[in-house]
Amino acid sequence: MSLWLSENKMRKLSAAVFILTIFYSLSSFASPKNVPNMVHEKVLKNGLKVLVKEDRRAPVMVSQVWYKVGASYEHDGITGLSHVLEHMMFQGTENLEPGEFSKIIAENGGRENAFTGADYTAYFQTMEASRLEVSMRLEAERMQKLKLQEKEFVKELQVVMEERRMRTEDKPQGQTYEYFKALAYTSSPYRNPIIGWMQDLEEMKLVDLEVWYKRWYAPNNATLVVAGDVQAAEVFKLAEQYFGAIAAVEFDAVKTRVEVPQLGIRRAVVKQKAKSPYLLMGYKVPVLNSTDNEQDVYALEVLSGILSGGGSSRLASNLVRGAQVAASVSAGYDMNARLPTLFLFDGIPSESRTLKELEMAINEQIKLLQEALVTAKELDRIKAQVIASAVYEKDSNFYQAMQLGMLETVGVGWQKESEYVDKVKSVTAEQIQAAAGKYLIEDHLTVVHMQPQSDVLEEKELADVR
Amino acid sequence: MYVNQRVAIGFVLAVVSTISTALPNIQHWETDNGARVFFVPTKGLPILDAQLVFDAGSVRDGSKKGLAALTSTMLNEGAGGLTAQAIAEELESVGAQLGASSSRDFTTIKYRSLTDKTTLTTSWAVLKKVLNQPEFPPLDFNREKERTLLGIKRREESPGTLAQLALYKAMYKEHPYANAISGEFESVRNINVEDLITFYKTHYVAKNLIVVLVGGISRDQAEQLVGDLLNDLPEGQKAVKIQAVKDIVKGAEIHREYPSQQTHLMYSLPVLRHNDADYFALYVGNHILGGSGFSSRIVKEIREERGLAYSAYSYFHPMIEKGPFLLGLQTRNEKVAEASAAVKAVLQEFIENGPSEEELIAAKKNISGGFALKLDSNKKLLGNVVSIVASGAPLDYLDNYLQKVESTTRKQIQDAFKRRVEMDKMTLVTVGKTVEEQQ
Repeated sequence: MSLWLSENKMRKLSAAVFILTIFYSLSSFASPKNVPNMVHEKVLKNGLKVLVKEDRRAPVMVSQVWYKVGASYEHDGITGLSHVLEHMMFQGTENLEPGEFSKIIAENGGRENAFTGADYTAYFQTMEASRLEVSMRLEAERMQKLKLQEKEFVKELQVVMEERRMRTEDKPQGQTYEYFKALAYTSSPYRNPIIGWMQDLEEMKLVDLEVWYKRWYAPNNATLVVAGDVQAAEVFKLAEQYFGAIAAVEFDAVKTRVEVPQLGIRRAVVKQKAKSPYLLMGYKVPVLNSTDNEQDVYALEVLSGILSGGGSSRLASNLVRGAQVAASVSAGYDMNARLPTLFLFDGIPSESRTLKELEMAINEQIKLLQEALVTAKELDRIKAQVIASAVYEKDSNFYQAMQLGMLETVGVGWQKESEYVDKVKSVTAEQIQAAAGKYLIEDHLTVVHMQPQSDVLEEKELADVR
Repeated sequence: MYVNQRVAIGFVLAVVSTISTALPNIQHWETDNGARVFFVPTKGLPILDAQLVFDAGSVRDGSKKGLAALTSTMLNEGAGGLTAQAIAEELESVGAQLGASSSRDFTTIKYRSLTDKTTLTTSWAVLKKVLNQPEFPPLDFNREKERTLLGIKRREESPGTLAQLALYKAMYKEHPYANAISGEFESVRNINVEDLITFYKTHYVAKNLIVVLVGGISRDQAEQLVGDLLNDLPEGQKAVKIQAVKDIVKGAEIHREYPSQQTHLMYSLPVLRHNDADYFALYVGNHILGGSGFSSRIVKEIREERGLAYSAYSYFHPMIEKGPFLLGLQTRNEKVAEASAAVKAVLQEFIENGPSEEELIAAKKNISGGFALKLDSNKKLLGNVVSIVASGAPLDYLDNYLQKVESTTRKQIQDAFKRRVEMDKMTLVTVGKTVEEQQ
């Protein structure tokens, strides 16, 4: 039912302009020094983890329920199941008619939605703080008493297919990203789109959803995060009252499904009805959850900032302004994914330049990082931005709750939030150089060139009509 | 552009009041050279947000379509002896953020910084240079022009963007609102640096400027900062009034063929200026019709009943001159006739009979109960204050908002929709691929 998200909200790529968003969304954590409000944790007997962050600036709160299930838990043939189930969570329970959940939230002045990513499915309400109980009562209801009905399912599946057409089929860069992921990953579940392949959506059955719901929707597979003008003790009491009686479920361990080693560069061309070409590049890299070598992960994080963290960073400075080979270009890295991921580059060449030239220019920037240390000034700028962002993010309860929920759900643990700024500050120029040399290597690279085909295709279609 | 517009509406339409919520204390003064300043002190976070809003949107482009947007893009590409690189380095060395953009009505410079002395001094000095001494270096200008031209070309990749551009063109005709904010390929190609300098000198003047500050600084500090920032800015002339939007005599249906799987549909009419007497009736009514997600009639009919679209909505977008009332959705090509008929039927029924009492009560509960959410961060406060002062609404707007919402009646809504939303004058735009209809 989400009005907005099906693709992972943390996904770092689309087209131009995200240079800032990418970096800021990565650097979303605060140091304990400038943060008076701390996180309170309680685990109920049935395994539900409850996290509370008090913030009294306004009489409001956000409540989020995070489930450890998402597209990366799916296998071939059932792709998109987690996301369709998310839609169905608004379509009725034993005690609520389809749509009634939303109606009750609306009457209480609330805003609500949900989102599905590769590694999580999350539901949220933002409301005036005294309405917390309303959201808890409703979330507890649909955690255990979802009523999956054929009529609603048939209709909702159509809605999801429309969503897919809007985000993927009719978006050249979006569709290219799908092909890119499927090429880059071999055995990792990250190779499938979060919204699912169209064919899998077409063949999805109500019973698939029933199995999926029973398997993953349980208190011991969920985290409740509440942030805002609330008292932790009161939140814990309400959580016990509404969620306490829900039975825990025994889980089979999730299959590991590690990505097999990549043994050489992968390349592809994707032809699209587009007006300008588009480049995607990705190197296989570890994440916090996949390695004990934290130092490398934070080095890659800062490296993405050196390349793409703001208007003074290297890609903007050297490729957009200096060489003018790119109309837009950015780098991105999600260190908080559940499984090893890609260190990504994307870009659009400027009008007079080619994809090949842009790719070569990016390669030169990588080589530079491998051969020479970044300057102290560059490093200081990245750190200054991280520190400032940590304060800016305090302006949003939603964002703070989101960080906690996500870290906990991917397996890293919410406690990592408080380490972020200090860990970033401790990264050295030598570590960045070493990380560039170790990870940004050609054998682990996937490159996709999206080539515009507009005129050719239109002519061909005309021919077909005739 | 589509996204920006939705955001702007959020600011304008989403302001209501309950007793429990502390209302912002909007302080106001005018500088000697005639700029109007609005300041809201906040506690809790060492952040200062500022927006500088000039009456200098694309509506001021004249024959050089795209001029306002290109001028704002160029502000931080070289100023006061600093190169684009130096500007970015100065700001980012203290983690500050600065950007500028244009809408149809306004050009806005947005600034965010921490408030410790070193940071604020460094970042404010950059803002001052960008505002007062932009240099429009030819090399950077040529590059940004090329990037703008590429952006214009890439509009052709998005059926949604094409639909909106076609809609504005059809509804506003000779009025400058008809034009795309970023201009057209030919017009932008003919813009030169001298055009930017002239535009800047004419429009970036104190009398044309509203400054809004929100954050953790004192009134004294705010006055000092603004004084320092605007001291050298010429007083200038207030921009002339924007011409009125001509009444549409007869509606139109426009289709553009596009090789997409979905058809984007928009159904619209210019209706609202800022501070219109019918505003509250239309706002509360639209909340019920298509402005409140899953509780609204359009979503219920198009998405929940028929499964025709992922997103379906309606909104009023008040502007300086009549901004659009717009219904929109996107559906698979073979269903466009069904979706179009259904959405028109929902609108027609609503105009004829208005909302039910139950719907009205639910809408009021949602609006008033959600008031606190509209002011729960510095960012949202800033957005609300900017839309209040830029639209010329009274400063006690927030204090009276809830009362105005609560006193809205079914009859007022029905009456306002009947008078203001004349379906025979509405324009229907579809962009997509023509295919055989499916039952």
